[in-house]
Amino acid sequence: MSETDTVPNAAPSTRPAPTAPKRSFLSQLELDLRLLGMIGAFIIVCVVFNVLTDGRFLTPRNIFNLSIQTVSVAIMATGMVFIIVTRHIDLSVGALLATASAVMAMMQTRWLPDLVGLELGHPALPWLSIVAGLVVGAGIGAFHGWLVGYLTIPAFIVTLGGLLVWRNVAWYLTSGQTIGPLDATFQSFGGINGTLGAQWSWIVGAVGAVFAALAMLSARRNKAAHGFKVKPFWAEAAVIGIIVAAILGFVAVLNAYEIPSRVVARDFAARGLEVPEGYIAAYGIPYSVLLLVGVAVAMTVIARKTRLGRYIFATGGNPDAAELSGVNTRLLTVKVFALMGGLVAISAVVASARLTNHSNDIGTLDELRVIAAAVIGGTALSGGIGTIYGAILGALIMQSLQSGMAMVGVDAPLQNIVVGTVLVAAVLIDIIYRRRVGGK
Amino acid sequence: MRNAILAAVIATAGFSTSAIAEQHGMTIGVSWSNFQEERWKTDEAAIKAALEAAGAEYVSSDAQSSSSKQLSDVESLIAQGVDALIILAQDTQAIGPAVEAAFNEGIPVVAYDRLIEDDRAFYLTFDNVEVGRMQARAVLEAAPEGNYVMIKGSPTDPNADFLRGGQQEVLQEAIDAGKITIVGEAYTDQWLPANAQRNMEQILTAQDNKVDAVVASNDGTAGGAVAALTAQGMEGIPVSGQDGDHAALNRVALGTQTVSIWKDARELGREAGEIAIALASGTEMSAVEGAEEWTSPAGTTLTAKFLDPIPVTADNLTAVTDAGWIDVETLCQGVTGGPAPCN
Amino acid sequence: MTMQTDPRANGAKPLVELKDIRIAFGGVQAVDGVSLDLYPGEVVGLLGHNGAGKSTLIKILSGAYKADSGEIWINGEKATINSPRDARRYNIETIYQTLALADNLDASSNLFLGRELTTRLGFVDDARQEAETRKIMARLNPNFRKLSEPVSALSGGQRQSVAIARAVYFNARILIMDEPTAALGVHETAMVADLIKELKAQGLGIFLISHDTREMMDLCDRVSVMKNGQLIGTERVEDVTEDDILSMIIMGKNPKREAA
Repeated sequence: MSETDTVPNAAPSTRPAPTAPKRSFLSQLELDLRLLGMIGAFIIVCVVFNVLTDGRFLTPRNIFNLSIQTVSVAIMATGMVFIIVTRHIDLSVGALLATASAVMAMMQTRWLPDLVGLELGHPALPWLSIVAGLVVGAGIGAFHGWLVGYLTIPAFIVTLGGLLVWRNVAWYLTSGQTIGPLDATFQSFGGINGTLGAQWSWIVGAVGAVFAALAMLSARRNKAAHGFKVKPFWAEAAVIGIIVAAILGFVAVLNAYEIPSRVVARDFAARGLEVPEGYIAAYGIPYSVLLLVGVAVAMTVIARKTRLGRYIFATGGNPDAAELSGVNTRLLTVKVFALMGGLVAISAVVASARLTNHSNDIGTLDELRVIAAAVIGGTALSGGIGTIYGAILGALIMQSLQSGMAMVGVDAPLQNIVVGTVLVAAVLIDIIYRRRVGGK
Repeated sequence: MRNAILAAVIATAGFSTSAIAEQHGMTIGVSWSNFQEERWKTDEAAIKAALEAAGAEYVSSDAQSSSSKQLSDVESLIAQGVDALIILAQDTQAIGPAVEAAFNEGIPVVAYDRLIEDDRAFYLTFDNVEVGRMQARAVLEAAPEGNYVMIKGSPTDPNADFLRGGQQEVLQEAIDAGKITIVGEAYTDQWLPANAQRNMEQILTAQDNKVDAVVASNDGTAGGAVAALTAQGMEGIPVSGQDGDHAALNRVALGTQTVSIWKDARELGREAGEIAIALASGTEMSAVEGAEEWTSPAGTTLTAKFLDPIPVTADNLTAVTDAGWIDVETLCQGVTGGPAPCN
Repeated sequence: MTMQTDPRANGAKPLVELKDIRIAFGGVQAVDGVSLDLYPGEVVGLLGHNGAGKSTLIKILSGAYKADSGEIWINGEKATINSPRDARRYNIETIYQTLALADNLDASSNLFLGRELTTRLGFVDDARQEAETRKIMARLNPNFRKLSEPVSALSGGQRQSVAIARAVYFNARILIMDEPTAALGVHETAMVADLIKELKAQGLGIFLISHDTREMMDLCDRVSVMKNGQLIGTERVEDVTEDDILSMIIMGKNPKREAA
């Protein structure tokens, strides 16, 4: 079980019928050991920083901050998993983010208002801009994929060139200026400027929890219907319970971060009202985090439940075999890079909305963070192996390390030394682990 | 139900809320834009010293030239419970959300050396218009009449025009009186000495070397201008500059440059520390000593304090050595029988 | 062995006709004007040294390579095979010498690779795929247990079973087997031999590549020998001895023809 988790379709519980009679408590739960390991590492990082910062690291406020700080890199990391799984690399994501961000910023502040005549604040502005950004991102990604797949230029070279080209296309488009402020609706994807509030957060959390529970039960039923052995019901219930508790716990923490009284007062004053006595409002789940959850679910479904995902992993595992099995690996390369480009555009929305401006340096060095997140998350550069949740956890661990060290006051050079060391150590542990469990 | 879950989460996550409530002495957070640049070390030491003197704690972070990281840094500093923030902004606009977050928590912000386009931030910098005035004043004193050349800064840097404006204020009277004539004027792309040198050469050629003084906007461009003058054997005519570059101070000692306007980073740092503490203790921004209302080029009216720079000429070279800015040996390299301390 | 009558004698149409196939790689003529045919219920063996052109010829039929010239006829009609996908459309299935398995995927994912079973919503139906895999594996290799492990964790014989299962599951009419027993033990080799006989009885046409001349004499109806890209000759197994075959492989001459 321990290493089937890196295989997209390997449902951990579909073991053949005759199993060893003696099974430990943990093995009955049939949990994913690698996932547990990563969560364990994450918890250790959090607890250590919490102690070092006198309890400031694990406050609702800092957890809220960490969540929104992670979103942009995490979204791109999910796409990078597919890129690396198919034995490619994309060094251009940070630069592409800048270009997508520049296009979206110019669309909403210059081109649409000046050329099309939509006035600033027009409700269609942010959406047209986002569509334009997605088209540009996916289009450039597809172009990269075509160069790699059909013209057989190595991805390293294509995207190294892309790094230089798109960083400077962004510069050229904006003349290097900071473009902003961006549209208010657009800004709401940035984090603190767009949150669900306490009530809706609970509703979304509850719906998510119910959905997760139903999905797991339905998978169980489907397995049972085909005569496969399923884990004992109590174990299934325990796992579902943990997941539901985690979802609701996360919502509870985010809801515990209250909107500062000054902001509440200002909002009420803006509407000409007095703040009621004892009025408390909470931020709740930021839209950007919802966006990440949506991307994560969609990418996981693609990886595990669609032909596209199956072909991506098959091609990564053995490109010749995939080709001989009728997979059009060239077109697949185009699709994978186009998907990456689209995700970069989504990240660009989040990153620029967070700054409320497009800045010329946006996305600088993001390619390294994204690749590091995917790799820390267990994506093997040799191809064929990687998970979406791993990449997101990788991004979260990296951001926690950086943010935690900044909080503790570690010198800037030391921070980067630690992050670099962790990257290499994580891969080493992964290699040793795989060797132990006898995989590849 | 909600509280029960929350309590469970808090318990499992293992954080203690009691530690947060504990009242410490004052803590001031500094967000640097790029600590890789050497000069900020001097500023940091001065801020630290000022905070230490007031019994406040210094915490800092370095955005490593990334405006996104700077936003995260400021959020992190706020989460650490700082009482005031000093921000050297990587980007005058993109820092907006960070200032917003600080204001929401009631934390005052000092915009350190670089403008933040937000009326809630206190802008502390040297007076660049005054720098221009000082440059012109020193040159005018040395050459009250004659043909002037203006070597300006980079056309993309708003400071270049501030400086030029200050220079014009001082020279206007002499121009009106017909005592001096501006015979050449050029922007210096990217403040590069090589560009300044090329421009100066062209002006000298066009004017048949009939030039009596050069108002250069900084020490780098002054260096370029002096090189061009030296090639024509004209070194020694009045030339201005700013920044207190070691090479420029050496030129002042040698007599090939008249003045270098010196902005003492230690003073800027000390002031920033003191203002941050004052604001954190509840002082209104307008009540800070020396504070004035000021309108930025983008039209934001904000509270600012402008420190006066020091014009360093042959008469007061000891000021820079006494301050430890430069050692006597470097200052007086190749100087014989020059002004104090090089005699 | 009364079944060993020549299928061609029944007046049946050939399943496959390869006509004057040629392909060159960088100036080397890998297959040089080879013509071959295959009838329903017939096993044709391909023999020759390494580099004789057997695998290349077979890869042209399976769509992995495209011939420079020559024609492929299937069921009496001219066929265009430009990709493995095209070959599958003509019910041509191949078991490659390398097995062509994605090591990181489990048996059922490999079995259905490129032809996944989907649910009504278009998602891959893993449970059904696994159930189907279990069924066919129960037939091919009753000892096969590791349904949900990546195939990299399987033994050589088990991997071979997966590759064979993939070829026979989809109602192949033409089966190409490139060294199917190279990695197998005695017991498993016997199982493959039984399987070949069973498939032959079902009316499939099989191209078999092997180095083991004795095995070929036992399993095949006809054998074709290649050397340096050229076809030396095709003979019915009952008309030649093992030594004849060996001399064809080594000398590149057909002793029967020369004697005649």
